[in-house]
Amino acid sequence: MVKIQNLVKRYGSLLALDHLNLAIEEGEVFGLLGPNGSGKTTAINCLLALLKYDKGSVTVMGELMEPDSYDLKKNIGVVMQDVAVFEQLTVRENIDYFCGLYVRDKKRRKQLVEEAIQFVGLEDYTKMRPKRLSGGLQRRLNIACGIAHRPKLIILDEPTVAVDPQSRNKILEGILALNRQGSTIIYTSHYMEEVEQICSRIAIIDHGRVLASGTKEELKEMIKTGEKITIEAVALEQEDLEDIRRLPHVFDVSYEEQVLVIRCSKARHNLICVLDHLKGKDLAFGKVFSELPTLNDVFLEITGKALRD
Amino acid sequence: MHLIRYRIIQIVRQWSVMFWALAFPLILGTFFYISFGRGGMGEDMEEIPVAVVREGQGSVDTGAFMEFLEQMDGEILQVVQMGEKEAREALLGDEVVGIFYCHRRPSLTVAGLGISQSILKSLMDAYDKNEAMLTAVAQEHPENFPKAMAAMEQWQETTEDVDVKGKTLDPNITYFFALIAYACLSGAFLGVQSSLDSQADLSALGARRSVTPTHKLRLVLVDMVVLFFIHLINVLILTCYIQFVLGIDLGSDVASIVLVEWMGSMIGISIGILIGCIRGLGVGAKMGVCVLFTLFPGFLAGLMFGQMKDLVEHHCPLVNRINPAAVLSDAFYSISVYNDGERLIRSVGILSVMSVGMVLAAYLAVRRVRYDSI
Repeated sequence: MVKIQNLVKRYGSLLALDHLNLAIEEGEVFGLLGPNGSGKTTAINCLLALLKYDKGSVTVMGELMEPDSYDLKKNIGVVMQDVAVFEQLTVRENIDYFCGLYVRDKKRRKQLVEEAIQFVGLEDYTKMRPKRLSGGLQRRLNIACGIAHRPKLIILDEPTVAVDPQSRNKILEGILALNRQGSTIIYTSHYMEEVEQICSRIAIIDHGRVLASGTKEELKEMIKTGEKITIEAVALEQEDLEDIRRLPHVFDVSYEEQVLVIRCSKARHNLICVLDHLKGKDLAFGKVFSELPTLNDVFLEITGKALRD
Repeated sequence: MHLIRYRIIQIVRQWSVMFWALAFPLILGTFFYISFGRGGMGEDMEEIPVAVVREGQGSVDTGAFMEFLEQMDGEILQVVQMGEKEAREALLGDEVVGIFYCHRRPSLTVAGLGISQSILKSLMDAYDKNEAMLTAVAQEHPENFPKAMAAMEQWQETTEDVDVKGKTLDPNITYFFALIAYACLSGAFLGVQSSLDSQADLSALGARRSVTPTHKLRLVLVDMVVLFFIHLINVLILTCYIQFVLGIDLGSDVASIVLVEWMGSMIGISIGILIGCIRGLGVGAKMGVCVLFTLFPGFLAGLMFGQMKDLVEHHCPLVNRINPAAVLSDAFYSISVYNDGERLIRSVGILSVMSVGMVLAAYLAVRRVRYDSI
């Protein structure tokens, strides 16, 4: 569906995209995960032929994407990072206006607009102007304006920034519904939970480069961490930490603000082993959590920094 | 029609933009009207009450000055002869605006500043100048004195505001035409505003509209048509306000005035759209360029300083041929002063060509464009 090859984009001396390669297949929900400033939006803007790039190529549905690729653009829906609607038009008028830029047939457009309103749950707000809507509802309107024409490819650039949890869930459910209806989705975010929740394949991007890509399971397989154990423990000494570090399968131990975090490689009974050790040493501890690795752990291990650093 | 309909709704609902686009010229027109007064508009001016104090009646020859004042009496002055004490009391009591003393050397006393006082002063100056000139002629070339008198009378006749083709122009009406011309050019601000919505590097809306399959030329033309008609309506409302509410007679050639306003609105919007499409300038810089490109051409065309257009014509006539404000003002003059249809058509033609050229240049600037940064 989309192929980005060796894309290089410079802003003066800053290398924003460094030989970026992406291949997005039809029917998938593809997540582009990276911290702020990693090059996600730049990649999307190059894909949409809005930005000049220094090197590389972008093909969509097998054709080179150019600013005047109007036939291709008919099949693409874009939800920008910023809410891009007319303040002077009502909710329904905005959706109708943007849908009208894609669909000329009035009867069909009317039906599509109604469906889009229902899809994002704005039925009670159709006559309101955007500034009277909450941030979450404005985001939903932004999405409705981008997807009302039922595109084959939908690009959502951080659509849940500054959105309340209720609207966020509604948006994420909606994206999955669009995918079920046959749209291919490209979803950029720096929220790993969202990407993990909805994306069938993920590319982790930083400094304009793809660091890793695959399904979330594949990504987690790539890293050493198989289990992360978090324990509330009081007054541990350096010697205690060294002892824990020497336990089987443990490869990293950190202790900050009375919270002990132990990273273990994939193995059975890591938690039991750690707890037995603490009991044996008569070390007091409180709450205990055991988690499988998250995408943040993947990012942390690949880059040495957390996703939100 | 879909795009046009929503663009109209969107622009008309921008109350602040609409208010300033429409209200500002109306307010300015009202100020002009108040400043010039109805007398400046060809209506009867209220006579200025003045006291005349004659020194030792009969002993001094004050006949010439008295004759001069009597000519003005009932025209712009309301002359009352008084004694000096009575005149001073009348001046202090605001019963008269000034006191003319018919002494050997006539003089004027006023008790304040204002338009009426300025008029009295200019009358006094005019008399002094003429008297000095005639005295000099009488002393140095007494044989030419009758000729000098005749010449002065002739001068008075030729300085009436009568056009060679029979069209009379009140000089103050040119300010109202200048105001209409300015209103036409101020459409550039609407043009800039709208072009911001088409460019991905200037607004999120621009980015969203740039990724749709609607052709860029179509978007630019729709914006232009909508803005043009809205702006033309504003200019026509201004014209009706000047003509019917303020009662300023702009002339009977309504069709020609509307034609010039049509082209004026077109050129204003085109300038704005072109400025809006200049690459590499931010929104603030574009608005700055817009101010420059509406006020500076207006200044060169004499919309603020009447002699400027003549100065430009003498030193660099080409500027007057390509300056939209100068061409626009020439078109208005063709209707109201020169009564020259050929000149009017030429001006309208130049404005049309410039307008089409600007819109094409704007389209070429934004078509197939990829931005350096967004």
